[in-house]
Amino acid sequence: MVEISVKQNTLTRPQRWDSPFDSDMTKADVKKLLAIEEIAAIKADRFPARISLEGILQNDTRIVAFKKGELVVREGDYGNSAFLILKGSLRIVLSPSLPGAILGRSKEHKRGFFDAVSQLWTSNWLPETRDPDRYGPTKTGAAKNAASTRIILQDIPAILDKHSTATINQGALFGELAALGRIPRTATVLADEDSELLEIRWQGLRELRAYDEGWRRMIDERYRQTALIAHLNEVPEFNHLNDEEIQLVADQCLFETYGSFDWHTSFKKLQNRSEANEPVIARQGDYPDGLLMVRAGFAREAVNHGTGKRTVTYLGAGDNFGMFELHNAWVNTNDSNLALGTTLTAVGYVDVIRVPASVLAEFVFPNIDAPVNMAEQSVGKSQSNDTLMQWAVDERFINGRQTMIMDLNKCVRCDDCVSACAAAHDGNPRFRRHGKTIDHWLVANACMHCADPVCMIGCPTGAIHRSLSGGTVIINDDTCIGCGTCANSCPYQNISLVQISDAKGNGLVDDQTHRPIMKATKCDLCSDQIGGPACVRACAHDALQRVDFKEFTS
Amino acid sequence: MANRYFLACLVAVIIAGTVLYIMDQMELNLAKSEILSGYTLLGLIVFLGAFNVRKKLSMLPLLKASTWLVFHVVGGLLCIFLFWVHTASIWPDGNYEIALSIIFYLVFFSGIGGFFIQKSNAIKLTETGIEVIYERIPAELSEIRERSEAIVLECTKTTSSDTVANHYIATLAWYFKRPRFYWPTLLGHGNAKTWLRNNQASVTRYLNEEETGYFNQLIELAELKKLIDEHYTLQDINKKWLLVHLPLSVGLLIISFWHVLLVEVFAI
Repeated sequence: MVEISVKQNTLTRPQRWDSPFDSDMTKADVKKLLAIEEIAAIKADRFPARISLEGILQNDTRIVAFKKGELVVREGDYGNSAFLILKGSLRIVLSPSLPGAILGRSKEHKRGFFDAVSQLWTSNWLPETRDPDRYGPTKTGAAKNAASTRIILQDIPAILDKHSTATINQGALFGELAALGRIPRTATVLADEDSELLEIRWQGLRELRAYDEGWRRMIDERYRQTALIAHLNEVPEFNHLNDEEIQLVADQCLFETYGSFDWHTSFKKLQNRSEANEPVIARQGDYPDGLLMVRAGFAREAVNHGTGKRTVTYLGAGDNFGMFELHNAWVNTNDSNLALGTTLTAVGYVDVIRVPASVLAEFVFPNIDAPVNMAEQSVGKSQSNDTLMQWAVDERFINGRQTMIMDLNKCVRCDDCVSACAAAHDGNPRFRRHGKTIDHWLVANACMHCADPVCMIGCPTGAIHRSLSGGTVIINDDTCIGCGTCANSCPYQNISLVQISDAKGNGLVDDQTHRPIMKATKCDLCSDQIGGPACVRACAHDALQRVDFKEFTS
Repeated sequence: MANRYFLACLVAVIIAGTVLYIMDQMELNLAKSEILSGYTLLGLIVFLGAFNVRKKLSMLPLLKASTWLVFHVVGGLLCIFLFWVHTASIWPDGNYEIALSIIFYLVFFSGIGGFFIQKSNAIKLTETGIEVIYERIPAELSEIRERSEAIVLECTKTTSSDTVANHYIATLAWYFKRPRFYWPTLLGHGNAKTWLRNNQASVTRYLNEEETGYFNQLIELAELKKLIDEHYTLQDINKKWLLVHLPLSVGLLIISFWHVLLVEVFAI
């Protein structure tokens, strides 16, 4: 009788908190944190046993010390954590922003030329091979990247002279908007004195907000107090105002949210993705009562056309709606036609700040030139010109910042783009030359590096994250536990789960259950390659582009 | 793209003009001007071959492949001009030279032909209105075949009539078996469409309303298969022309180096 022996490579299945935020966090640290007023107020019994408050503090937070002048967060960075000031005070640089050189922006790791060439012989010819030794509980935390990456600003008085700043003190929470809203940091924050902060990565912050009413209220209030003022300072129509006036404006602003924050879950199920299902923010023919400033998400601007609505453009973060009509009403008080020319609806989820007309009349209109009627310009285009825009909005491709679009009239279907991608990524392409088409355009199944990357919602380890510069959404293979949450969340089916194997091609399996070890993979824009996205450079017919639809359709 | 073609043409004209001028000067000095045109030609052939190496080195910032293609196409045109200058005829004497010329012309015409075939096929593929990955075509056809057989079986079971089934066995089974009408599609003929229409017309008169419903479902699948067949043909030729162009290019490189070696040996 022949005995068959099956050799299996086993690995302990990765778990949440395998890679704590800081492996140096001790029980004593947790105990110390539980005594702090802001944390002591949290009702620990509201948390489920598997995500206990102690567990969150132990694994999703770390205590970081900053010396006077040290940068805590930099404007424009994509951060995945918020900070609670335990000791000391910090200074927020409001306006104007600090120059990039002062902020000491670090460059992302790129392969050198010879390192890039060496991929020809160092890359395994078998796809998705990994060294099993790199996985498992890891040493992470503040100590790891301490002094080497910190930047200390030397001449703080000069900064105070030239830039408008605000001070935040012990007990204040900041950075939560960027961490939860998946948007870049809105301001630079530096230590005003030697300070100690509790850094909470976004998974932990999400749980705190979900299970504690007090933290939920605090986060929402912080939004009004800090983010709104910072935002108003950035808007050209308001940036001439002094601090007092900005505060007056902020006090009268209304926050409105339309649609669902988890829009991607319903989007995947919906068959009819037209504007008929979208919540209306402002309706064509109605009289405008305030300027609508899109803070996050997307909104569709459409005009009545026949029995339907024709999409003329869409608004994203930083775009305004209704300025022309409001200004027109302010100038021509006797004009009988002051109604809105277009309808605004929420595409998925949109965060809007409504600035009342009376505030604009007092602070804005006397100081600005007549605004351009953007809607009229858009409506002036032909109906066929809007087809691509309409389609992109319906399919939510507008969310993409680096959408892979192919001109099918140029594409010879040679798959050189796919081969190039595979060559740059463990022998396995990170996209499929397949997807939705309209006219002669195809949007391929490649990560679009969305403005609102819903794939990041729910990642238990934070493996999927924004790169520190540029906002590329990447997956940290070392901390990915292959749970598939990101792949399920992505509304565009652009994330794949692959089974990994050792250098000899033997599939790795869990040592307990013997189920395969999976990893989430997707396009990373060749972030470690010196030439940028290999797919774009490999297309010999200029058929493949990475685009932002706003620019592409304009 | 147009700007890059203009730039490449400009470079080609400058190279051609420079070579012709220096050759003229060499002739005046009673030197062998073929040496210059020959080595320029060889260098150009090596450059054209480097395009394929560039494709393998996609991880390096060696300009975009589209820029390489522009210079590859214009370089190919310059190549044939230099070839004529070098041989002083379009068809040289000598068996070895004739063999070299045959390969040279084959590479040139397969390149130019392939370039235009690809450009044309890209638009034809788009006009089908569907997108299919070449490697997925057998699976797609298999799925269509299974669905069509299921329709026939259901029709027979529901209507208790074998008219559609017999017609399927006699005609459509052949059609659904694998990609059909390869050459007519390639030559732009509408044989598949005519074949389908005729086979539809020949049986429709014998079907009752219920059978017609099933048969229409079959025809829908047949129409879809026709589009996939078009994809198969056009994508197949898009890939296969390279199987002619590439090996011949390698052969041309080898035979050209041998030619240079012989010239240099006999020069001693």
